[in-house]
Formats: sequence, C-alpha cells, structure tokens
Amino acid sequence: MAEAGRARILVVDDAGLVRLYYRQALEAAGFVVDEALNGVEALEKLLQAPADLVIVDVNMPLMDGISFLRALRRQPLPLAALPALVTSTEAGAGDVAAARAAGANLYLVKPLEPATLVLHARLLCGVPA
Amino acid sequence: MNDEDFRRLCEFLYRRSGMVFTEAKRYFVERRLAERMRATGATSFASYFARLRSDQPGEVEPFINAFTVNETYFFREEHQLQCLSTDLLAARLRERPAGGPLRIWSVPCSTGEEPYSIAIWLLEHWPQVDAYEIEIVGSDIDTRALEAARAGLFGRRALMRLPEALIGKYFEPVDDEHWRLIADLRQSIHFSTVNLVDLAQTRAHGRFDVIFCRNVLIYFDEASRRMAAENLYENLLPGGFICLGHSESMSRISPLFEVRRFADAIIYQRPGERGDG
Amino acid sequence: MPLIRAGAGEAAAPAADHAADRAALVAALEGGSAGERLHAARALAVLPGALAPLSAALQMEAEPAVREVIFTALARLACEEAADALLPLLRAEEAGLRNGALAALAAMPARLPARLPALLADPDPDIRLLACELARALPAPEATTLLCAAVERESEPNVCAAALDVLTDLGGPQALPVLERAARRFDATPFLRFAFEVAIGRIRASTAIDP
Repeated sequence: MAEAGRARILVVDDAGLVRLYYRQALEAAGFVVDEALNGVEALEKLLQAPADLVIVDVNMPLMDGISFLRALRRQPLPLAALPALVTSTEAGAGDVAAARAAGANLYLVKPLEPATLVLHARLLCGVPA
Repeated sequence: MNDEDFRRLCEFLYRRSGMVFTEAKRYFVERRLAERMRATGATSFASYFARLRSDQPGEVEPFINAFTVNETYFFREEHQLQCLSTDLLAARLRERPAGGPLRIWSVPCSTGEEPYSIAIWLLEHWPQVDAYEIEIVGSDIDTRALEAARAGLFGRRALMRLPEALIGKYFEPVDDEHWRLIADLRQSIHFSTVNLVDLAQTRAHGRFDVIFCRNVLIYFDEASRRMAAENLYENLLPGGFICLGHSESMSRISPLFEVRRFADAIIYQRPGERGDG
Repeated sequence: MPLIRAGAGEAAAPAADHAADRAALVAALEGGSAGERLHAARALAVLPGALAPLSAALQMEAEPAVREVIFTALARLACEEAADALLPLLRAEEAGLRNGALAALAAMPARLPARLPALLADPDPDIRLLACELARALPAPEATTLLCAAVERESEPNVCAAALDVLTDLGGPQALPVLERAARRFDATPFLRFAFEVAIGRIRASTAIDP
C-alpha cells in the first residue's frame, strides 16, 4: 500500500514530447502517471484501471479529445464523473465551447508551465498543495 | 543501441501498435532488434530504423512479430472464451431479434485451433448450448492452413492447455504424438477462404454475433487496417462483438467500435442501430 | 450436437450491390438511416464518379461512423481531387472533422509534397500545426527538410513544438544546426526549452552511430 493516497492521472496526447513533459512534471509532484495516444486508448486504459484525473488534448488521431469526452460522459458511474482537464493549442471560442459542452471541467491553452499544470491537477484531484 | 535510440524505437512501437516497453524491458527489446538487424543485414540502428519507418520491404510485420508470441494452440486466450460464455452471448441474446442461429466467426483461423476451441468451450461451459443453434465459421487467406484445419489433426503442443478429459472426449489418438478431432466436431465447423481487405469476400460471409479477429490487424498497413476494420464492422450485427489479440489495441486500428469492459476481457462492440441515424 | 454447419453467408448476407445503381446509392447516402448511409458510402466508393457525392456527403454528415468510412474511401481514391476535397476540412470548427481529414490526408503521402509547403506557411497557426503532423507521413529526409524550414521561421510555440515532436521521432543530422539556432528564440518558454533539448539529444545520439 505504499502508493495509497497517491492520485493517478491519465495523460492523453498524441505528441510524445507533451506526454513526456507532463509525466516528468506530474511525477515530480507526487502523482502516478499513465499515458494514452488517443481517445480510444484512453477509454481502454480507464476501463481497466481507474484514474483521478484525465488530461486530454483536442487534436488526436482516430478519436479526438471532444469525441473522447462525449464517450467518457456516457460511461457508467463513477467513470462518467471523472474530472477532465482539456489542454489544447486551440484558443478559438468554438473549441472551448465544444469542450465545455462535451463535459470538460477546465480548459487550458498550451504550452503549459509545469507549475500551472501541477496546480490545476491538484485542484481537480482534490489533493492539498 | 544507445538510450536515445531505445526511446525512438519504443515510441515507434507505441505509436504503431500500442505496445509499451519501459527501461526494464530494454534487454528484451535489444535482443529482438538485434535479431531483425541480423536478418535484414542492417549495419547500424539508423539504417535499420529508416528501413522500418518506410516499411521497405515490408519490415514492420516481422518486426512487430518479433515482439509478440504467435503460437496457436487450443484454449489460447482462455479469458476471451470465458467472456464469450459468461457475458457476450447473454448480451447478444438480450439484444438480437429472435430466430436464426448465433453466428461466430474466427478469422483468421489458421489451422483451426481457434474455431474448434470455441466449439469445445461452448459445449463444455455454456449452459444454454443446447437451447440455441450455433454456427461457427473459420476463415483464412491461406488455403493450406484451411486444409489442415479441415483435417483436424493436431500435435501435442497444440493440445498442451486442454485438460486430459477433454482430449479424451473430443479427440482420437492417431499415434503417440498426434490426435484427430472427432468427426462430429470437424463437420460442425464451416471453413472458408477470405481476404479481410476484400469487401466482396467479407460481405459474402454474412453478419455475425461475435467475431474473433486475433493477431492480424496489427500487422496491416494503415490503409489495409482501415479497410479491414470497416469490413469487419459490416460483418457484425448491430450490437455484435469483436475480440482482438492480447497485444492488439483498437486504438491503433479504428474508432468505429465502442470499448466494452467485461469481467474477463476488454471487448469491442458495434454500436446498436439508432433508427433516425 | 447443437453446433450447426451452414455455408458461410447463407444466414444473413446483405443484398449484393452490383445490381444497385449509383443513383440509389447516392439517394441512400443523402437520406438513409445511419446504417444505410454507411453501407451506401462504402458501396459507392468502388464505383466511378464517387468523389463528388462522397465529398458532398461529408459536408452534411453528422454521424462519426459514416464520416469515418467516407474518409477511408477518399484516402483510398488518393487522387489530387480527393486531397483537394479534404484540405478545407483542416479548417473545420469541429475537431472530429479536422482530425478525420488529417488522417485521410496522411494516408495519401504522394499528394503531400505538393501541398505541404503552402500549409506549413499558412497564416493560421492551427493549420501550420496540423501540417507538421502530416509531415510525419513522409520519408524521413523529406520530412526533416520541410520541418526544419518551418522551425527556422516559426514564431508560434505550439507549431514549433509540433514540428519538434515529429523531428524527435524521425529527424536526421541535418536538422541539428537549425534546431540549435532556433532553440534560442524559444528559451523563455519552459516546454519549448524541454522540447528542443529532447529533440536535439535524440537526433544527435542517433547520428553518432551512423556517420
């Protein structure tokens, strides 16, 4: 039970550099991190191992972030209620609205500072700073 | 192979197949890479990696193959068979219109271990097996494999996971090393030729309740994977299920199917039909 | 024994399409149920003159599965006209359409060299970013050349990061001087500093064993 109480985060992004960067920042802050390349893989992973937060990009192959959020919110509870932080390069109002409508809890524009990422991850996971 | 090469190779494998290899598996990865470099006569990692990326000449298949165990034997991936008898057939019976047989497709079926395993498993483990008609079809592109499947002659290795009692019940010994499936079972499976990327050929097989399509899509190139996945989608009844191999993930194949978690396995499902579309 | 052996396809084969005429398929594509539209799109794809009705349907279609099979059909056609029908969708509001078009374009690498330079120089940074991802479908030397030129003049950090992501995976040694120069311009952005460091490190290490 060494890891009891450590919040688990699934990072969903098709860019390997982004996944690696988030992993390093989040692991340094005490989170357990898993990765997925697109929305389909994210669903596969979440159905096998629960997470406390999903951090998800918008543009991804096979299943984009918005479609993933819609599919996530259709899952049975508790999975459907999983907090979702959407990070995207798209600052357009259309994408923000689509992400909100699909069930995003928070939308941040890339590139992210590690401190910003960790701060919001803690808030969304309910982990004290 | 240095650290950075190892990471490049792992990222390639991950993007292409979804398989994850960490530093802890480095020795395993290096062994497989060395095998493929020897086989292709590559003199450096960079030259081999260039060949792999461009898939010239068809290097992706043997490369991925080196990372997976491609043995076929009876009751391989038993958890999926368990899932079939515990959850999938019950779900199909709830959703499908009454009448007509439950149809199960094993594709590619190679030399027949999989479709015969499905038959034996259902006879042994599905309590409702006598209440329904079940049609099992085994298909492959390789006609020699299909001939062997029809002959139903198997060696000790293929039977290694079968309990003694089942071997006694469903097989007849031919000699010390070989057993033949009983005629009843051999004759209950229909074997046919199919190329999964050929729409006319797949459509001719009709629609199924459950498809086992293990360890083939992962090897196809992008265009063939999309085509095969869409063919298989059309080969499923709405609400029907498709099972992939244990090292395969639909996340590298197609977004058409819904991901379903059952007690024994992750399975993919063709969504049910909505009238208005 | 409850197992029955039937000839494959006897049970539930859908009607064959060779009798169905093109007009009926186009009508089904425009007004059928989701299942009928999907079936019609796939059947149309192998007939001559499929491009116009398929790309028209793509503009209207809301069902992701039907869109997906239309994208596959266009990717298989892989002609100049199919590529041109897909390009405007990279600007779509909806993420599903953008990414579907991107995947279909990536599946026709022969159509990319003529189009990528313009896409990588597009005034819209979101288009330049998607163009970087398309370069991944090209052979490594071509992709390296195009992406280095992009990095050299790029001012938007996210576009630069997208180019670096591809270069990290496939970039050759000729990228090193460009990346070392460009890294200085993005020194104030932590993620970009990290991205340049990883990209340069990986390319350099790979170079070392293959002079």
